[in-house]
Amino acid sequence: MTLSFTVNGAAFQLDDSRSDERLIDFLHEDLNLTGTKFCCGIGVCRACTVQVSKPPNPTPSPVISCSTTLGTLDGSDISTIESVANDGVPDAVQKAFLDNFSFQCGYCTPGFVMAARMFLDGLRAQPIPQDQIDSAMMEAIGSHICRCTGYVRYFEALKPLAIAANAGDWK
Amino acid sequence: MTSQSPVGGARFTRRKFLKATGGAVACTVMSIPGLGRAARPGAADIGTNASSVPGVASQRIDGMAKVMGEKVYARDFNARDMPGWPQQQWHAMYLRALTTEQAFEGLDLGTLAPQARPTRVVLGNELSGTLRAPKLLFNRDLMLQERIAQERARAPRAKSEGSVGSFDLPSDMTFDLIVLPGNVPNYLGQAVALLLFDNLAGFRAAKLAIEFNDAAYQVYGSGKEDGPPLGSAFSPQTTYVKYGDDFSYAKADPDTYMDQVPAYQDKIRTTLASDPALIRQPFQTDMQAMDPMFMEPEAGLVWIETDTGTMNIVLGTQSPDGDISNILSMYDSADAPIHLKAVNLTSCYPGGGFGGRDGSPFSLMLALAGTYSNGSPVRLAYDRFEQFRVGLKRHGAKLSGELAADSNMKLQAVQMTLTFDGGGERNLSPYVASLGALCAGGSYAIPMADIYAEALHTENVTGGSQRGFGGPQAFFAFETALDDLAAARGWDPAELRAANLLEEGGTTVVGGPVEQSLRLGEMLKFAQRQPLWNDRDAIRQDYAARGLIYGTGIAISLQAYGTSGDGMVASVLLERDGSLTVQSDAVDMGNGSATTLGVTIGPILGANAARVDMGCYTLFDQTGLTTQDPDGVRWANPNWTAKSVGSSSACLTGLHQVHTVQQTANALFQGSILAAAAQIWGVASLPPSDVVWRDGTLGRRSVGGGELSLQTLADEIYASGLPNGALGHAYFQNSWAAADFPTPGGLLPLQLDGLSFYQPSGGNPVQVPRQGTVGPDKASSRYARYVWAPCINVVGLTVNTSTGAVQIENVLSVLNAGHIHVPQLVSGQSQGGVAMAISYTLLEDMPTGMAGPADGMWNLNRYHVARAQDVPVLDGYEPGQRGQQLFTLEPSQGSAPVGRGIAEAVMCSIPPAISNALRDATGKRFTSLPITPAKILEGLGQ
Repeated sequence: MTLSFTVNGAAFQLDDSRSDERLIDFLHEDLNLTGTKFCCGIGVCRACTVQVSKPPNPTPSPVISCSTTLGTLDGSDISTIESVANDGVPDAVQKAFLDNFSFQCGYCTPGFVMAARMFLDGLRAQPIPQDQIDSAMMEAIGSHICRCTGYVRYFEALKPLAIAANAGDWK
Repeated sequence: MTSQSPVGGARFTRRKFLKATGGAVACTVMSIPGLGRAARPGAADIGTNASSVPGVASQRIDGMAKVMGEKVYARDFNARDMPGWPQQQWHAMYLRALTTEQAFEGLDLGTLAPQARPTRVVLGNELSGTLRAPKLLFNRDLMLQERIAQERARAPRAKSEGSVGSFDLPSDMTFDLIVLPGNVPNYLGQAVALLLFDNLAGFRAAKLAIEFNDAAYQVYGSGKEDGPPLGSAFSPQTTYVKYGDDFSYAKADPDTYMDQVPAYQDKIRTTLASDPALIRQPFQTDMQAMDPMFMEPEAGLVWIETDTGTMNIVLGTQSPDGDISNILSMYDSADAPIHLKAVNLTSCYPGGGFGGRDGSPFSLMLALAGTYSNGSPVRLAYDRFEQFRVGLKRHGAKLSGELAADSNMKLQAVQMTLTFDGGGERNLSPYVASLGALCAGGSYAIPMADIYAEALHTENVTGGSQRGFGGPQAFFAFETALDDLAAARGWDPAELRAANLLEEGGTTVVGGPVEQSLRLGEMLKFAQRQPLWNDRDAIRQDYAARGLIYGTGIAISLQAYGTSGDGMVASVLLERDGSLTVQSDAVDMGNGSATTLGVTIGPILGANAARVDMGCYTLFDQTGLTTQDPDGVRWANPNWTAKSVGSSSACLTGLHQVHTVQQTANALFQGSILAAAAQIWGVASLPPSDVVWRDGTLGRRSVGGGELSLQTLADEIYASGLPNGALGHAYFQNSWAAADFPTPGGLLPLQLDGLSFYQPSGGNPVQVPRQGTVGPDKASSRYARYVWAPCINVVGLTVNTSTGAVQIENVLSVLNAGHIHVPQLVSGQSQGGVAMAISYTLLEDMPTGMAGPADGMWNLNRYHVARAQDVPVLDGYEPGQRGQQLFTLEPSQGSAPVGRGIAEAVMCSIPPAISNALRDATGKRFTSLPITPAKILEGLGQ
């Protein structure tokens, strides 16, 4: 038996004896993709958030890679922070976080970027009333822990993008 | 495609030679490997280069690398990522002491599955003496060092009198890094064994078996106590007694100060007792320890090349200088297993710090692991459970005392005893206690003070440097007591504060003069005019109409920045391609130092730095300066300085590091670039006032045309052999050391005590002999601190009296940050300080002993830190909406464009403002941090 999944578009097949291994360890050790950050290791801080799509559900969802085993990812498409920029050019979320000085030490940033992107994708697919955007942002990134910034600048950076995505103007 | 990154450790090989028993050890700071390797169009479109305006940052200079997920943190690296390292990597794990009541006898790993068996087990008895208990140096504060020396000199006399009062193990106190079998551990979490694995699978299998079950593998029994008993005070303790203008720490003869203290304490008591009309306000507060909870658990790599005696180490630290010195001391003995000849440090960006990586024991434990891996690289990477278990903490503390005021609201005296739980190791605990003692006077002019601060050795996790450095504890005690005094007398809490504010010309509780404009009065009036304070009764009624209980609190802090003497080093280089590089001993923990230093040269040199190298403490060795002063001639020795460099603190950037970089940039500009311009323009001399930078080119004010780009100037400099870079060292102790330096551009007066020039031909920089040096006088070292970042916080909050839940609705911060170099960084630091303070005050609940993280089972599921919903995230104030506002003072007209250290300033007065708001809301005083819902319900009698 094998486990099959993709990471940033590259296909991998592993022996299912590795089912109990954590996704973050596979990313770090096997692929040397260390942009996904290890912080609490128990799925609380969400610094290790990656994007996972698994048929038949086409909608990507945020997954905490420190607490997700490879065995649950068979058939999934996994995207990490390393896949976000286009030929070295930051995407809109990354640029907004840069322009707003949203982060300081930056260790939580990849998790915020991944969650924010999925949030914006979701808004574009299913717009919500404008007055619910703040609470939707809180729902999307409010559980992520940042110890440096006090969150204000993450929210400031994301809001214009959320308004645009809600109006169908994202990507 | 490979591009050069604008950030890093050092690109150039710069070596510093440290003396050791076996000879000099060459220390080199290396660049972060591969940084900027990701395909992107080039360095020119990122970092500070994204701003075409010199002096302005449009992004963090390290921002692009971080937002892309590049390898910038120590945790990101394995041996395979390090050029020239062997690929085979070992993994290290320490087992930790579970008790301080029984002796550790040894391990029983018999039940470990074969695949989980360590390749090597190291117990304390295998370590040489210095390896087990190295002589650690924490030269944090010149004043404290002096006091330690004095106390050592006094010790024989005190001993003969029967009371030493504290302990100071031979050379600056450390307990065994690994407990000797048969000894009782000195504190919980002290290492009892090092387990090494030559493969990752074995390490993981062992971790799975041992973590949360380590008692099953450790054997305890009867044995001997090793070291001073728990409850002893680390040396030195701090006593500040001030009696008007007659007596103070700063004014008294240092040799007899402590002898005079009892008499003046009596005088204070007598004076207070003689006036029965005085109002006495007693107080008693306590707070638990707090974990810095920086996001990246400590991790690193070490590889010791035994044949060459070279240690290669990858670290993310706030204190590279101190860490390397302490590591070297481990191997500085004849019986050391390895005699080091060189240390190569790869200094990574720390994933958060807040002081928790300043003098962290982690670096020693990592280096130790490298000794036993048969020449293979070793990785030590704490998980969060381990980080909670052994990482440095903000001290738990108990503070008690009394304020005395007259009926005209004038404070007359403060008496305070501050007892900090230092935990196991000494670390920086006495320094923290000492600054706490200074903060015990609040932000006020108080004629009499009797303050005593100590840090105790306990079984708990070691306390160390943390944002505020004793300030949060002291300001909490003082500012809540002040509010209670106001409430008891029916005084307006803001007016009581206004009546007592310390201002320029006053003296602190140490007796040192305040020679800097504080503007506290102006700040307080401004805060009082803001709706959050001015309309507080109406706001309360509005909340009440909605069935919510609301309160408003105000508090002031006057946090010092820097220490009692700070040395900094920086270089500024004009590259062959006309770009600029800044190098600094500072470390950027996320606070933005690299960005600030990169843009601060812009107005001087016409462009921002294209590259900023941080953690370059070894630059000091190239200055030609020394801190040795055997003849006691101080500044008369043209090569002497009082301090080389210190550990990195966010609070040192705004003034100290910026000053050093700017002065060094000035030296390059006036000492070389102007000379090059004069050569090109064919003029004999070119005063700075005759030229101006416009759009990155240098032009003459009086003559049109002929503008020179930095590339053109670099061409001339490199062709004619003018200096292509400057290396400067600065020292601050109430004033800057200053001197004149002869340069190709003439004699330059600079606020530097060391200047060297780099030559286009390469090689080490050449020292410029300084002349006419004027250095700070020795007396000012007794002032403790000299510069201050005042902050006033107003907090509005609601309380759910059924659940005890508190919600911070609004925060108003009024901050004197001086000149602001990068506004976004200042507001970001402030917002971070607000969030951390809310978290500290209301959420972060860390019991002591094995009920706390020392049991190895604490993580973020039990230790709650503030998330976005706990913090007002709207930037501004709108009635009825949660938000926070930061107001910074416009610098006074004519004041020098210098910043103030602000990282800690905003945080320090938030906790008392919250407690004061809770009192306003509920009528109850909460004096114990964290103020949990359970405490609130108990306080409300529910």
